[in-house]
Amino acid sequence: MPNSLPLGGIRVANFGWVWAGPVVGQTLGFLGAEVYKVESNARIDLNRMLPPFAEGEPGPDRSLQNHAGWAGNGSITLNLKTDEARELALQFVATCDVVIENFGPGAMANLKLSYEELRKVKPDIVMLSMPAAGLDGPLKDIRTYGLSLTSITGLDSITGYPGGPPIPVENAFADPYNGIMGAFAVLVALRYRSRTGKGQHIDYSQQEGVMQMVGPAFMDYVLNGRSGGPIGNKHPLAAAAPHGVFPCKGDDRWISIAVVTGAEWNGLVAGMDNPGWVSEFADAASRVENVDALHERIAAWTEGFDDYELANRLQGHGVAATPVLNVADLLNDPHYKDRGTFIEVMHPLGFKETIYGAYVKTSATEANVSPGPALGQDNDYVFKELLGLSAERYEQLKADEIIH
Amino acid sequence: MPEGALEGTKIVELGRLVSAPYCAKLFADYGADVVKVEPPRTGDLARHWGPFPNDAPHIEKSGLFFYLNTNKRGATLDVSTPAGRDLFLKLIADADVVIENNAPQQMRDWGLDYPSLAKVNPNLVMISITAYGQTGPYADWNGYDLNAFHLSGTSSRYCGRPGETPLEHGTFSAEFFGATAGAAWGLAAVVGRDLVGGGQHVDVSCAEAIAATFVGAQNIGGYAQDDHFEKRTGVGMPLGAPATILPCRDGHVWMLALEAGQWNGLAEVMGNPDWMQLEMFQDMFVRAQNADAMYPLIEQWTAEHDKQEIMDRCQAAGVPVTAVYTVGEAAEAPHLKERGYITELDHPEFGSVRTLGAPFKLPESPGGPTSAAPTLGQHNDEIYGGLGLSAKEITDLAEKGVI
Repeated sequence: MPNSLPLGGIRVANFGWVWAGPVVGQTLGFLGAEVYKVESNARIDLNRMLPPFAEGEPGPDRSLQNHAGWAGNGSITLNLKTDEARELALQFVATCDVVIENFGPGAMANLKLSYEELRKVKPDIVMLSMPAAGLDGPLKDIRTYGLSLTSITGLDSITGYPGGPPIPVENAFADPYNGIMGAFAVLVALRYRSRTGKGQHIDYSQQEGVMQMVGPAFMDYVLNGRSGGPIGNKHPLAAAAPHGVFPCKGDDRWISIAVVTGAEWNGLVAGMDNPGWVSEFADAASRVENVDALHERIAAWTEGFDDYELANRLQGHGVAATPVLNVADLLNDPHYKDRGTFIEVMHPLGFKETIYGAYVKTSATEANVSPGPALGQDNDYVFKELLGLSAERYEQLKADEIIH
Repeated sequence: MPEGALEGTKIVELGRLVSAPYCAKLFADYGADVVKVEPPRTGDLARHWGPFPNDAPHIEKSGLFFYLNTNKRGATLDVSTPAGRDLFLKLIADADVVIENNAPQQMRDWGLDYPSLAKVNPNLVMISITAYGQTGPYADWNGYDLNAFHLSGTSSRYCGRPGETPLEHGTFSAEFFGATAGAAWGLAAVVGRDLVGGGQHVDVSCAEAIAATFVGAQNIGGYAQDDHFEKRTGVGMPLGAPATILPCRDGHVWMLALEAGQWNGLAEVMGNPDWMQLEMFQDMFVRAQNADAMYPLIEQWTAEHDKQEIMDRCQAAGVPVTAVYTVGEAAEAPHLKERGYITELDHPEFGSVRTLGAPFKLPESPGGPTSAAPTLGQHNDEIYGGLGLSAKEITDLAEKGVI
């Protein structure tokens, strides 16, 4: 019998859309909270329409990436353009502990669902708002996409090949990062609530959340006035070498190697069968100073090897080395298989699909990885059982496209 | 001053470099009492990684260490000695959380693995953050940020030019990601301790957290079903355009104009050049097919304008174009200053130094760094005195090199 999950009894209304907001709900849901996305057929979230689709058949309940990113959330449907739906939303929020949203500032107020309104129905509600650049300040209404948000943090400026232009990361790394940090923010506020009885409105700027990753380079700017360009895979603070990705045998196969300590360097030298040229790089300072020449030497050696075999061989010498995995490798890799990173589940509408499960492992509790969600799958429960609507009224609200 | 949200939460950190220290910083910056335990003499390896003012190495002047260890108290302890281990067990006896990122075998060798700690304190939540995690065939592999990141699938799929080296961001992004995941799951374990019936071990693999929630989320269902997968292209969005980073007069901009309204807004900002009306540029998918013809035409215009001007004019026209700020430009951005994101702390060696503020704002219980990172062993007397050791005992342990 598994233990009760840590967030049992916490209920969440998740108005979050696309990716970051849903990941907040997912994380809380995996940990035992009861989470419902509040969405609508009147304006279907674009994320539900992204291919590929289950069995190749398009539809808002068949987007495979949507199900992976949103698993852990339930779903109720309300057409929030109508007063009655907003009234129902408030009734629902009154039963909740947490409200999540990642619209632009003011959007919730336009729906008459501002923090002030929510507080009237639930005085100790914890509300997480996570707009792109926060709830105030000159850029509060900035328009960005998840994958370009990092451009205003400095992160993009240091990502790319040394000496070259910034290379864009081709998807929104910031979204799951901010989603998980958003879950932490909610938990911090819940911890405060349990001690003081007070809720609050969290102002989560996605720009500021993800800019935390830029801290090391920011400190170099603060201390030395440096603000350089892309550095490739080199050590972010030029404190260690070799530190890079090197070619291996086969099409687009690579190995990552990072050497920090003297023992690791000796391990690498032994792993390479003591080539004569290593004497040019005997101490750490000379390795960092001549990093490009060093990397060329290593690349000339690695390219004859299979990436997995070489990683195993170097690890045998205590060297931090891994194959560079592609998408197919992720599903087939023995490590991820052993940890159950990816799991096959049955979607509520009856087809099998592969999503990710508990992306962190816990020793005493088993994550609640509910798949899906299908649009409105929890309407019956929330509106009839939780809010106590009569069957008649419920059917009428559906017919009137208010629960929709 | 209002109290921090996590006031009363006791945390012991046995961490180094980025992941465990950043995770513990998240707790500390929101009011938890964090004791950071470092090896005597050398301290956390981050102290040796810089960046140092004028690149002059100094154990108390690492910007990395300064950034990652705000609001903590610092103690030195050699946990590899029997006396050091005993003291560590005393430290964690009434702690809520231990945060660490040592190799699993190292923790076992020290006798500080989860079963050993849980015996002393069954309510303890232990957050372990390593490149690969506590279990699985790579659990005992050596690994740094770079290795974890490239094991996540991110670089092959999303970062770099085709056929060229897959890229990490120019920072420790896997360690930051793993640290954040550890903070969320670890705090949940604390919040729900009564429901669960005690503490537990939270096992974070930095590689896995990203492989799952970022690359896996978007790709694994499709690959599992269709046996087909994509790789990096070097272009922001290969299927819609314009959507990539382009050069401009003083740097780069993130050019984005996908929807019809955005494309029309961009045309307006660019002075309605005739070519933008051509059939081959009339929808984001068609534009992507004709990207090689389109991007140079946009670049002719961006080359004559500065990034901030391009961003301001595009944003005003409803086009989601942003400047690619250098780190310095981001640091000086008026928006972040106005929001108080850049903060300043006094440090005995640096003097007054700027650092980044809290990742999110809690109006009732504001977070963020208020005291600088500890010097090596700065709080030994108060921490070990708090465990009931006399001044003489503390001096003896220091002489033996235990603290």
